[in-house]
Amino acid sequence: MRLFFAVLITAAGLAANPDQCRSLEKHGKKPEARACFLQLTRSGDPFMRAEGHYGLRAYKAANDQFRLAVQQQPKNPDIRVRWGRMLVEPFNRNTKDAADLFSEALEIKKDHAGALMGLALAASGSFEAKAEELARKALEADPKNIEAHELIASMALEDSNTKKAVEEADAAIKISPEALDALAIRAAVEIIADRPAEEWLKRIYQVNPGYGEAHLLIGHHLVLNRRYDEAIAHFRQAIKLDPENLHAQSQLGIQLMRTGQDQEALRLLNDAHDRGFREASTTNSLKLLDSLRNFLTFKTDTTVVKLHKKEAALLRVYMEEELRKCIRTFEKKYKMKLPRPVQLEVYPDHEDFAVRTMGMPGVGILGVTFGDVVAMDSPSGRPPGSFHWASTLWHEMSHVFVLVATKHRVPRWFTEGLAVHEETATNPEWGDRLTPSILAALRDKKLLPVAELDRGFIRPKYEAQVVVSYFQAGKICDYINEKWGYDTLLAMMHSFGARKTTPEVIELHLKLKPEEFDKQFLAWLDGHTKKTVDGFGDWTKKIKQATQLKRENKLDEAVKLAVEARDLYPDYIEAANAYELLADAYEAKKDKKSAAAELLKYAKMGGRDPKALKRLSQMQEELGDPRGAAATLARINYVYPVNDEPLHRRFGDLLFNLKDYSGALREYSAVLAMSPLDRASAHHNVARTHLAMGDRAKAEDSLLEALEAAPNYRPAQKLLLELEAQKKEKP
Amino acid sequence: MGYRLDMGRLKNTVALALLPALAQGAAHFVTVAGLGGEAEYEQRFTSLAKEADKILRGSGGDNRIHTLSGPDATREKLSGALAAVAKEAKPDDQFALLLIGHGSFDGSDYKFNLKGPDVTAIELAAMCDRIQAGKQLVVNATSASGGSLHALQRANRAVITATKSGTEKNATVFARYWVEALRDPNADTDKNEAISALEAYRFADQKTTNFYETAKRLATEHPMLEDTGNGEATRTPGKDNDQGMLAARIAVVRIGAAQKAAADPAKRELLAKKEALEVEIDALKRDKAAMPTAEYRKKLASLLLGLAKLQEEIDK
Repeated sequence: MRLFFAVLITAAGLAANPDQCRSLEKHGKKPEARACFLQLTRSGDPFMRAEGHYGLRAYKAANDQFRLAVQQQPKNPDIRVRWGRMLVEPFNRNTKDAADLFSEALEIKKDHAGALMGLALAASGSFEAKAEELARKALEADPKNIEAHELIASMALEDSNTKKAVEEADAAIKISPEALDALAIRAAVEIIADRPAEEWLKRIYQVNPGYGEAHLLIGHHLVLNRRYDEAIAHFRQAIKLDPENLHAQSQLGIQLMRTGQDQEALRLLNDAHDRGFREASTTNSLKLLDSLRNFLTFKTDTTVVKLHKKEAALLRVYMEEELRKCIRTFEKKYKMKLPRPVQLEVYPDHEDFAVRTMGMPGVGILGVTFGDVVAMDSPSGRPPGSFHWASTLWHEMSHVFVLVATKHRVPRWFTEGLAVHEETATNPEWGDRLTPSILAALRDKKLLPVAELDRGFIRPKYEAQVVVSYFQAGKICDYINEKWGYDTLLAMMHSFGARKTTPEVIELHLKLKPEEFDKQFLAWLDGHTKKTVDGFGDWTKKIKQATQLKRENKLDEAVKLAVEARDLYPDYIEAANAYELLADAYEAKKDKKSAAAELLKYAKMGGRDPKALKRLSQMQEELGDPRGAAATLARINYVYPVNDEPLHRRFGDLLFNLKDYSGALREYSAVLAMSPLDRASAHHNVARTHLAMGDRAKAEDSLLEALEAAPNYRPAQKLLLELEAQKKEKP
Repeated sequence: MGYRLDMGRLKNTVALALLPALAQGAAHFVTVAGLGGEAEYEQRFTSLAKEADKILRGSGGDNRIHTLSGPDATREKLSGALAAVAKEAKPDDQFALLLIGHGSFDGSDYKFNLKGPDVTAIELAAMCDRIQAGKQLVVNATSASGGSLHALQRANRAVITATKSGTEKNATVFARYWVEALRDPNADTDKNEAISALEAYRFADQKTTNFYETAKRLATEHPMLEDTGNGEATRTPGKDNDQGMLAARIAVVRIGAAQKAAADPAKRELLAKKEALEVEIDALKRDKAAMPTAEYRKKLASLLLGLAKLQEEIDK
């Protein structure tokens, strides 16, 4: 064996330059490539030695040699580029330092194709729109740059632009029939379209039978198309072909974790980590799997709910019930049943949830669906009032149904749009509102044509484009629902499942060309938003003036302006909104009724700051409207039911007095679930509710708990004596 | 009336917790709002001190209250107030010092920031040591207050600090919740109509934790309690660490009629019976783990019913 390798090294000695070593590697000649790289490490030139170590994946040694080489040849841009390329490898994933090196190379040679390509690669990892622009510049500098075509092709496929993906891949293949990643993209295009891809895979294997990277690339695109099971199969194939492909192994582990297969995920990720693959998503996923030990699992026939043990007792009641309600509703709406129970994971630590979404496009994600696994932040993971957990849950559950119905063959815009539509269809107070950034996009006519809307989700070209795309997709579904009916939306969903494209589906079900649809939709949207879009500047002025007038105690003038501001932009419910300003002004005028009416408008518009809602509830109670007060507190339960024992006590009392005993019992039980310091009164409340519901045995049990905690608690003592007296009357 | 309980047997029990409400002797309170430095803090500290003053004055019992804030919050006036308590307080009395404001710690000495010269923890301890009151409470709710704990701790004195060490230097919120505990009946978790130092501590600690969790801020204060005089301070006083026994016996605020009943000679016999029942309940609860559940519950129910009937008699 030793002799054999010695012969190889000698043979490779004839071809010991980095390009030829990499060529051997590309063609699957691993031992030869290894020998070649080994020989480079013995070169007298540190740049060559660096390439040798890089090829052998000895990154630390390579790093040292690159540094030395740069010191020796500070004006050689190629060294910096190659050093940067090593740093963007998934094993290292140091895009910042890599980008610095590419930029330094460009300072030395302003149109260095390799440096431009390096920057494009660094940007593409985080779905930045500038990646394509950089790759195009690389092509200008080097029209035969295969990698640039391949990257543009891959990004086009990420944007669901199959035509462009094919064109760019073919351009690469035309330059070199051995452009492996271009061939892999062609295979991915076929697989995503449910067509056979053997022809392309065969061509890949002819070049390199062990090219696992092809399946890693295909798996990546399947993940973006939410086809998780198929992605897993391709990641497995990648490892089978190349057991040293730790990137593929890590991706497989992460995907298994996302789909609830934690045990195998843990084994694979641990192994990759132990073998040195320690990029952020691997390490963070391992940390997440470790923290899952602190979660409790609750199973029913249709649901699996995983909650952190510190809040499981409190949240279980609310979340399980909401999940069941959601499944019942969607089974009717979507006219189907889910084949398996849905798994809901709720993370109190936002960092844990963020691991679930690593490597996914988009920003500010609140929840995420992987097949029939839904992961989301816990309300305790977000500041009070910033997160409507129930709205998020219904949004994600819509994805579960749509993905099952279409076997995951659905464009992003449609599934997101339908999910956004379902939020407000469930409850008009839920969902998101027209934000100033959306207004700006409407004003500047930045909405995308429906046929290209997916691009807005994956690779935003301006800061708010993802948010704007969610809004637009949601409104498109609202519009279709309003004009053609919900059954048309369902029919469209099934056509997407049958592999029809967006233009085909629009033409088939709406009898319109996509361009005509866009025109009609924009006209409809304009009718709904024009007043606010046009009046935004005026609104800003009025709200500022009204605030100042209120401060100066010129209350009537403040009210007049604030009403005008509110009516110009009724959707605005964030900080410094007109509703709360008006409520303040009315309260200052001792007009509690008008103040409460204004806060109720705020709540009905979707306002969800718990402080404002508690203020409303208090006013409603004082104005003799306990039912309204209870309804207001119910809204808070959907937003921030955690860290607020007084909320549940007060809500329980209101419901008890309204004789809604099952509701009162739920709220008083929530108090107990929060391990209150005052256990006695909490148990006493449960006891009196059981008694009101006619369950004397349970009432006695709870009473005993109350008095065990505080034997001298007078209300509990009185109830005990009453129960004793009742027993004597009716044993 | 006196108390003849076997104190050594009782740890954090209901009977023990009843003591504060009926405790004899005067209660001396010194509350100081230290130097705010900025108008916002100055106002916040003064307002908390005034609120504490109001609550204490409205509480039942023989309370002697000194509150220093604004221009009065000087080292001289604080020394004077503590000297006055030292002159007046008897061994049966209790004494509580509440410090609100900013503190500092240089690695060895803690200082409470006052107008003019500051006062160190060692100096504060020396002033408190001159006070004869048999039960003492020092609540140092300032930043870096953990740095004062070692100097202040002593037998028969419960020391509560807003921070776990002198290195937690950010402004604290603990004082706000301590004062809130004094006015919130929910803080009276054993429902004996008195809020003990231990109950107020637990209430304020929980609220402080919630404050940071809700605001999604890294907690920069971790309240601690030490009341054995020579032990390790803890965040969670209880049976496991033998902390909290003294704090449970110090009534900071009385909120009910217990004090009145104790003063009525006609009720003494009933109160003695009640006390005996409470001791029995306490003993039963301690034996809970060793008993069959059904038997425990039956006995507990019977004792609790007896206690409820007795209370009804007392309330007549």
